[in-house]
Amino acid sequence: MALTLTMPPVQPGQDAVALFEAHRAAIRRQKLTANLLLLGGFLVMLFWSIDVSRFWPESLIAGVPRIFEYFGSVMPTLQWDLLFAGANAEGRFPQGSIGFWYNDFWTYLSLIWETILMAITSTLIATALAVVLSFLAARNLTPAPWVGVVARRFLEFCRGVPEILFALVFVFAVGIGPLAGILAITIHATGALGKLFSEVNENASMRPVDGLTAVGGTWAQRMRYGVLPQVLPNFTSYALWRFEINVRAAAVVGFVGGGGIGQELNHVISFYSDDRVTAVLILVVLTVTLIDLVSERARHALIGKESLK
Amino acid sequence: MLEFRKLTKEFNGKRAVSDVTLSIPAGQMVGVIGRSGAGKSTLLRMINRLNDASSGQLLHEGREITALTGRDLRQWRNECAMVFQQFNLVGRLNVLTNVMSGRLFHHGFGTSMLGLFSARERAFAIRALDRLGMAHVALQQTDTLSGGQQQRVAIARALVQEPKILLADEPIASLDPLNAKIVMDALRAINTEDGLTVICNLHTLDTARHYCDRIIGMQDGRVVFDGTAAQLTDRMAREIYGAEAAEAFNEALTSTSLGGARPAPAVVAV
Repeated sequence: MALTLTMPPVQPGQDAVALFEAHRAAIRRQKLTANLLLLGGFLVMLFWSIDVSRFWPESLIAGVPRIFEYFGSVMPTLQWDLLFAGANAEGRFPQGSIGFWYNDFWTYLSLIWETILMAITSTLIATALAVVLSFLAARNLTPAPWVGVVARRFLEFCRGVPEILFALVFVFAVGIGPLAGILAITIHATGALGKLFSEVNENASMRPVDGLTAVGGTWAQRMRYGVLPQVLPNFTSYALWRFEINVRAAAVVGFVGGGGIGQELNHVISFYSDDRVTAVLILVVLTVTLIDLVSERARHALIGKESLK
Repeated sequence: MLEFRKLTKEFNGKRAVSDVTLSIPAGQMVGVIGRSGAGKSTLLRMINRLNDASSGQLLHEGREITALTGRDLRQWRNECAMVFQQFNLVGRLNVLTNVMSGRLFHHGFGTSMLGLFSARERAFAIRALDRLGMAHVALQQTDTLSGGQQQRVAIARALVQEPKILLADEPIASLDPLNAKIVMDALRAINTEDGLTVICNLHTLDTARHYCDRIIGMQDGRVVFDGTAAQLTDRMAREIYGAEAAEAFNEALTSTSLGGARPAPAVVAV
């Protein structure tokens, strides 16, 4: 039988200390059993997953050098004396120069810009959708219980399906290009942000909402005036964080035809597998790092402003 | 005229308000007194339907309030404004917007979502704030104000609703004596100058005696006293307050000794 933390009332003639000590010992025994069971379950799952994934030392040792082997094959051949050499009369760069390595630099850059725009567009649309859905989904705010259930299931579906799968479907539906990628990322991000937003909503104070009910406000007015001002800083912070994730997602959906730099990366990997792979990869990593840094600063500034209040 | 007919409210089988039958003529200032958990708040919140009655009826000028739904219900809430113990303002919005939110019933979806209020509404809000001596902080963020100032903003919000009835649920229980007096004076002024019916839950006896035309005493959800301050004898008052008598009698205006915290309701499962 599960014990509760409340101990039975002390009857006259009983010693409160002895009663408490017995109760405490019983609770601790119960906790120990529960913890041992959890530990056992965890170990079973751990060894099972090691077996399934063949996470064995020998396969790791055999695999690691091959990682370096691949990167070795896609490294550029650079020569010190030619590193910054200019193009010749026909507009060609000599082999061994950065110019030769990054011959398609402007193509890459425009594709990276396309990737960032994809992330911005999908973050904006997803945030707008998630705000509306989060009010419907929040348990304390939902206009009717069944609406809450439907909204929560819908959000679960949106974030449960990986964006790469959505992208495949949309490439089939609307054709190869950034639109398919944007749609895929938007749906997945709506699901993720809607969940986070609705949890923020569930922590909002209900007092202002009561106040707005009392003035005769509609459900939408109560949300707009009673809840939104409370949760807006958190929403903004989460949306920025999601933007960082969406930049990475936008770089990946291109692999299945969803537009952006991923399409080019997939192209150079499958057709050339030479120094062009590193050329693109370095640009992607630089972009993602830069955006993460800027967005992180913005988020911290936002949170900092809040906590100073 | 507000008519209560055997109004009853049950929470999980326990009666918070039991068979209340009353009639309150327009323009009266009524104080509802009683110990914590006596059902004062529930009674008040049934008037603007923040709580729905389990049985019985409430009528206002012949209209059945207990049967209202949708837009009719919101119109009724707009007609009977409410002031809360914890002010229930939106702390992160400025004072002016909080006051103008009292006009939301008159707005459609578009203008209210975009926060578009007319110059006339702004002027109306400023006049209401000015009446309570709060016009100078109109653009300040509301949660930077003190409790007494916030309660005055809440009263200004109630005023811009142009209500017929003003409900005040323990309006001074979280305030210090000076602010409690300012707020009670404002409520009384609204009652006498604008002719609004004011129904006010009060924890302390002196306040009720001093400000109200009529006192209603509640005990365990039932009305046990209904009359003028003069008719309320000490013996009667002691019975209404029971164990909390000392507290209710000794404190002049408010319960600042509790630091604004309200005692836990006496509804404790045994």
